Amino acid sequence: MKSSSLCKPWEHRLSRRQVLGGLAGAAAAGLGLGSLTQPLLAEQLKKQHKQVIFVWLDGGLSQLESWDPKPGTQFGGPFRAIQTSVPGLHISELMPQMAKRMHHLTLVRSLCTKDNSHSAGVARIQRGDPKNRGVTYPYFGSAVAKLLGPGDSGLPPYIWVKPGSGGFVDKDAGFLGAKYGALALGDGKPPENLLRHPELSQRDDEERNELRRMINQRYAARRRPQSNEANSYVYDVASVLMERMDLFDEGQVPDKEWDRYGRTEFGRHMLIGRRFAEAGVTFVKINSYGWDTHGDNFNGHLSLVPKVDQALAAMVDDLIDRGMWDNTLLIMMSEFGRTPRINGHIGRDHWPEAWSVVMGGTGLKQGVVAGQTNKEGTWVEGDEHDIGHVFHTWFRALGIDPHRVEYDNAGQPLPIAHDDCHEIQEVLA
Amino acid sequence: MNESLLERYRPKEQTVLSVPETQMMLARFSSDGQLLLTAGFDGQVHRWRLGEGEPAALKAVAGHGGWVTGLVCHPKQSVAYSADSWGKLQAWDSSAEEPKPAWTVQQAHDGWIQCLAISPDGSLLATCGNDGCVRIWNAADGKPVRELPRRPHAVYSVAFHPAGERIVWGDLFGQVVETNLADGKEVRTFDAGMFYSLSRLQDVGGVRCLTFDRNGKTLAASGTVPSGGGTVQGEPTVLLFDWDSGKQLHKLTLGAKNECFVHEMMLHDEGFVIAVTSGTPGNGRLSFTKPGDEKPFFVGPNSMQNCHSVALHPGGKRLAVVSTSRGSNGNGRPLKDGKYLGNHSPITLMELGAA
Repeated sequence: MKSSSLCKPWEHRLSRRQVLGGLAGAAAAGLGLGSLTQPLLAEQLKKQHKQVIFVWLDGGLSQLESWDPKPGTQFGGPFRAIQTSVPGLHISELMPQMAKRMHHLTLVRSLCTKDNSHSAGVARIQRGDPKNRGVTYPYFGSAVAKLLGPGDSGLPPYIWVKPGSGGFVDKDAGFLGAKYGALALGDGKPPENLLRHPELSQRDDEERNELRRMINQRYAARRRPQSNEANSYVYDVASVLMERMDLFDEGQVPDKEWDRYGRTEFGRHMLIGRRFAEAGVTFVKINSYGWDTHGDNFNGHLSLVPKVDQALAAMVDDLIDRGMWDNTLLIMMSEFGRTPRINGHIGRDHWPEAWSVVMGGTGLKQGVVAGQTNKEGTWVEGDEHDIGHVFHTWFRALGIDPHRVEYDNAGQPLPIAHDDCHEIQEVLA
Repeated sequence: MNESLLERYRPKEQTVLSVPETQMMLARFSSDGQLLLTAGFDGQVHRWRLGEGEPAALKAVAGHGGWVTGLVCHPKQSVAYSADSWGKLQAWDSSAEEPKPAWTVQQAHDGWIQCLAISPDGSLLATCGNDGCVRIWNAADGKPVRELPRRPHAVYSVAFHPAGERIVWGDLFGQVVETNLADGKEVRTFDAGMFYSLSRLQDVGGVRCLTFDRNGKTLAASGTVPSGGGTVQGEPTVLLFDWDSGKQLHKLTLGAKNECFVHEMMLHDEGFVIAVTSGTPGNGRLSFTKPGDEKPFFVGPNSMQNCHSVALHPGGKRLAVVSTSRGSNGNGRPLKDGKYLGNHSPITLMELGAA
């Protein structure tokens, strides 16, 4: 089984030039065509300044080694379940820190999605699997960037902290236009060459920018307004990032903070993600790769899950301590779950039939579990929830009515979530 | 190809045992050779009485939680010891009609006991686990004898030196440590660091098995040389060390990367290594390899794949190999007659040197 890597060649390093070039290209391609059919509602949403922190485990976290353990059953694996801070709720012993915080969180144990392949799973899940209308829907991050806007920070609305290289990932935006793509910070580092080269004087830089503005004006005069708007946005992003280099200065963060999140790649990225959320970025995605444990699943989860447990728990604590919990939607999920059946490599394969997602924060009840699986964890008992239901729930938690709000794709009204799905009411506040 | 060894030790299948929808990880013969014990994911120890005809299934031994992850037999008595992934260690009469625990330690470790070993004279047990602990127990009553300083990471394997005064244990990071049983002090380390790598966020590998030759002159450590995490690939490898000098004598690569882990192995008195490997489903075999030879002189058939345990009968003429049912993997819904089935573990009994 080949594992999918989101680190595609076209992402590569992000430089200031690439940010500018990429977005300017997007402008020429019709940036911002995707709009909302109800602009007034959109303005109200933007004033609320809700935020999202989306933790994405690329591959599949085993629900049986995390949120839905079935100890002592045929497929239960070697680990124990532990009591959480919610009476009667048990999760895997690999998550002792989150166990203490489950009274803040909401758990859905009835996910039943459709795709068991990486190639389909990543995009399908992150786009919310809307009905096929011949357009490419945005990833959740781009959708939120569009629906909630960038806030007052001036920072890009969709930041993606990921291992490996960075880049501007416009494919996430779909029909919304590249402006709503993800600014990926490879290893949490700033875009290469973001700052003015030391040999270029400020005066020369200003003159260069003035020349650019003149050329832009000439360019814009012959094109649609959105194009000019895009160019302005591009330079705003670059200039704000240049002014907020403090966000990349890890030396400003006390040692104990790094310790709390864990001295791992993921812990570091989570803390960087928190700092961007704290600075006002609307949607922060933090990504971990390597969650495709077709072999040695249990030793693999023994190594992986506690690192996520520590960092996620630190994130919950910080969002609460900083007064951000009521305005922030925190989510952690993967492409699918993992098979109950254990293969000969002591691995678990892909299992979209019955798995879990954890979330918390704005618009959600706390200490709630929705849905359940059967005794052996093979199937959902009761109502199954596809990713479309989850998208409805997330939008509603963010104060967006998914039944009323629509995208306006150059005159084509498009629902923001699957028409046939609905919110998971049990978890909504 | 070592033709003379092959001629004398070529294994021939006698029978295949299994328990429906139960995966096993361990097989052991009792010291009198009358019983075969197997254990794994269902938290039970399954027993078969061996004789002239087909092995007869006896009542399984229950009482464990999670997986049974450690299983040894006393070298002289009809007592077996088992350990599990929830931390329990217990002793029981292996030949009794309905075995009752002779003693039980409910929390020998905090969670998964990765390995259980017994001293050559049967007086001591050693356990190690994910809690980073190595503990020594009195085999007669289960009382703790010694606890070694706790490690911050999992300890995967432990073995007694045949002289009975030292143990070795191997950890996640490929460190093999010799410890003096009398005072618990570390004596020296053997480098098996090739058995570990950090793949993105995942610590991969570890020393999966340790064993000695009968005279205690050679120490063998096994695992994989990992090339990646997630699915986990790597060359199945055995390292042989000279016990006196501590020098590495041989590095045996027992297959391709998709064969991955050497889960268990033993050093035969004739100087060859009997090992089982398991990797990507469909891969992993029983093999016999003479150190210094380029290739194994025997590799098990495709019908025995994803092998996890091998045991040599006390008489030296029989082997038991635990493998995995074919087609054990697959994404999505593998249903049969509307039922979601698990895998099982064929347990193959083989006669060595049969014509």
